[in-house]
Amino acid sequence: MIFEVAIGERVRTVGVVRKGAVLHVDLDGTIHVVEAQRVGESVLSMLIHRDGATDVPRSVDAAFAHAARTAQPAASGDLDVHLEGRTIPLQISPAGSFGRQKKAGAGGSASGPQRVTAPMPGKVVRVLVAAGDQVTARQGLVVVEAMKMENELRAARDGRVREVAVREGQSVDAGTVLLVVE
Amino acid sequence: MKKILIANRGEIAVRVIRACRDMGIKTVAVFSECDRAALHVRLADEAWPVGPSAPRESYLRIDRIVDAATRSGADGVHPGYGFLAENEDFAAACRDAKLTFIGPSPEAIALMGSKTAARQVAIAAGVPVVPGTEQPLAEDVSDDEVLRIADGIGYPLMLKAVAGGGGKGMRMVAAAGELPAALRAARSEAQSAFGDGAVYLERRIQSPRHIEVQLLGDHHGTVVPFVERECSIQRRHQKVIEESPSLAVSVTQRRAMTSAAAAVARAVGYTNAGTIEFLLDADGSFYFLEMNTRLQVEHPVTEMVTGVDLVEWQIRIARGERLDLDPESMLTPKAHALECRIYAEDPDNGFLPSPGMIQGLRVPHGPGVRDDSGAYEGGEVPIFYDPMISKLITWGDSREHAIRRMRRALSEYEVRGIRTTIPFFQWILNDADFLASRFDTGFIDRKLGGSGRGPLYPAESSHEDLAAIAAAVHLFMQPPAHAATAATTSRWRAAARVEALR
Repeated sequence: MIFEVAIGERVRTVGVVRKGAVLHVDLDGTIHVVEAQRVGESVLSMLIHRDGATDVPRSVDAAFAHAARTAQPAASGDLDVHLEGRTIPLQISPAGSFGRQKKAGAGGSASGPQRVTAPMPGKVVRVLVAAGDQVTARQGLVVVEAMKMENELRAARDGRVREVAVREGQSVDAGTVLLVVE
Repeated sequence: MKKILIANRGEIAVRVIRACRDMGIKTVAVFSECDRAALHVRLADEAWPVGPSAPRESYLRIDRIVDAATRSGADGVHPGYGFLAENEDFAAACRDAKLTFIGPSPEAIALMGSKTAARQVAIAAGVPVVPGTEQPLAEDVSDDEVLRIADGIGYPLMLKAVAGGGGKGMRMVAAAGELPAALRAARSEAQSAFGDGAVYLERRIQSPRHIEVQLLGDHHGTVVPFVERECSIQRRHQKVIEESPSLAVSVTQRRAMTSAAAAVARAVGYTNAGTIEFLLDADGSFYFLEMNTRLQVEHPVTEMVTGVDLVEWQIRIARGERLDLDPESMLTPKAHALECRIYAEDPDNGFLPSPGMIQGLRVPHGPGVRDDSGAYEGGEVPIFYDPMISKLITWGDSREHAIRRMRRALSEYEVRGIRTTIPFFQWILNDADFLASRFDTGFIDRKLGGSGRGPLYPAESSHEDLAAIAAAVHLFMQPPAHAATAATTSRWRAAARVEALR
């Protein structure tokens, strides 16, 4: 099976085939020999040998979770991989399908409007911009109070505020569109 | 005392239940709607519902909590920290209902809860305070009057809420021109957070450290202070790392600060657990800041360096026992301890809260590690409460030893399904200034401001390679039946079918 794995900007192609007791994993052209054991449903213990290397089995413990996302809602195929003290968010899909999705999605995220949504239920305490304002990337747009904390939501990139859909004091549910930047 | 109701939730409720178990005391939990299956409910002997999830309808409802205590036949009530822990009405309601409140008297809570009254107590006890106003400035005091008082104190100064705490209603004012706006903001924040818009002024100490002294007082006049805690590592005035002892405090200073703390406590006939907070100036002088009339979040670091179970002592004091701890030994740290407060927040996304379900949890163990937590696999981190899910404490022979163990423990700690501040701690525990103990209370905010916007503790390319391999192997090995149930989209089902036909 061939998968495409997107981590940040970079997409890796990973092929997996079974060879007897081990798996051969082709990562962007380099073969890794992997002996993998499941530990429960969401933990994987791997002993990884690079192909051709002698007997240095690197032990890698990986655990998986459906992605936690605070910036935008998680999509299917979003996974958090926990290994070696790091949490690595990624998107994985069978080869081919991801490229199409990425292309469709990429158009939307690169030039389309940014819909700023409430990450969780809360109350709008301040709206920092008005419709028509020019904003720059990372500029604060709106402050939502939840979990006893005030959270400033920011612009993903430069643009103009097309619409402010909420007012100060308003209670909002998770996913409510607060404003749109284009 | 045979049965104690714990008027709290989360890790501190679990902590108190554990102390009760150790002492053979029965425990009664209270819970809001969303906490029905929370860890404190599951560990307690009894559990009583006290209302809807919003705190003011459940954990802040004095009537319902006292009613649950009475009906359960509890003879003591432990308030934990937060919620009703420093509410004199709650302490009084417990007393009226013939329940032993495991904490100070309502009078002591009320007195020390007012920042200006507490300052006067400290002054009377001969303890230095930061120069500032001794009387509260009520909401109707004019800007001109406040400006006149401010001129007498000098700039920069701090504007603080009389009823304050946790950085709310607090503003730094660099010059007179900033005062009117800061005054408006502090008053409105104080009004909405504490229902009291009164403020006071204090000179701002440049680059102070926040040092505090834990103490216990019994009902027989004995007050025992403990070796200090260093709490300067704060983000937006909230402590995030605490340690004990402080590298900035000499043995002589320790004597002076702990004696001062005990003097303040004695002056008000203080009983049970409390903490005196000080600002330590760069020149070594220290000033009384405030008193916390409760058990504190960071109490475990004191426990790990002195070997004392503070919660157990709270209960023993409440039932009238004499404090028989050796005071000398309580001022002599037997180890160095460190605590990281782990929050359900995304440090790489402006520390946005990250509530949700904990899909998996791997908790660190081993030598010198303690995890005080209310988290569990399958548990939800609710949106209604403070997002702290755990306190990770490590200790060792030296500060370096404790830090090495903390790094090890953090690298083992996995909280899957939500974002946590673990990467933030992994970042700061490798910072040269932190390691050299060169910091003050503004340290974290300065570091974060200058850190750019990349991840604080980034995965290297080699980690990403391994993650890609792991994810692919994970899907490849997913049993088809599982893949089908777990699948949320047709693409996943298609992948499963391919695997099934392989």
